[in-house]
Amino acid sequence: MHLHKFEKVWLIFGMGSLALFLVILGFAAFWKGTHPQSHIETIDPENVEAHDSFKPENLGLREVADGKYIVNIVASAFNYDFGMDADGKPVKKIRVPKGSTVLFQITSKDVVHGFQVAGTNVNMMVEPGHVSRLETEMKNVGEFTVVCNEYCGIAHHQMFATVEVYE
Amino acid sequence: MAKSTKQQLEPQHNPSINLKGTLIAVMLLGVFILATWFGCYYLFLSR
Ligand SMILES: [Cu+2]
Repeated sequence: MHLHKFEKVWLIFGMGSLALFLVILGFAAFWKGTHPQSHIETIDPENVEAHDSFKPENLGLREVADGKYIVNIVASAFNYDFGMDADGKPVKKIRVPKGSTVLFQITSKDVVHGFQVAGTNVNMMVEPGHVSRLETEMKNVGEFTVVCNEYCGIAHHQMFATVEVYE
Repeated sequence: MAKSTKQQLEPQHNPSINLKGTLIAVMLLGVFILATWFGCYYLFLSR
């Protein structure tokens, strides 16, 4: 088969790009551990309290080791339950130091919700019956708004919270 | 019959056909795809 010289150039360019992208994909999946946020772990959506992480007293931010945090959240229409503060008020803002590793664990009691910490890589679908987990390093200082990015009903726009990363 | 079909295909195999414009268009598109892809990947790594 005869191929024009230019045809060989763009075929090699295209196949080279494909190979490069596959290498980067492998690097992200096997080296950096980028995986889907739901690991097919199931939970009874009508009784999320039965799961240790989602007991009312275990919700919200918890430091588990030096610079390592776990945040447990229950999403429902139209609220993110981060637990209660010392005054018995619902927590709507969590604060972590810069460079800390934070594991977000979230599930839904009713419908599909989203959990996006805008401006970071934290972006998950929250499905009833499943536990979504995402661990991330908070590299940048700032106030990041948590939003629901899956339309869940009439007050969808009122589902928000704040994550503050301080120096 | 077979012979005339072969003759019709002949010009496509002509090595002197000018593909310079096609090459430029393909490379512009390729560079655009690579640039946007690496731009997104940079955002992912920096956040
Ligand atoms: Cu929503």
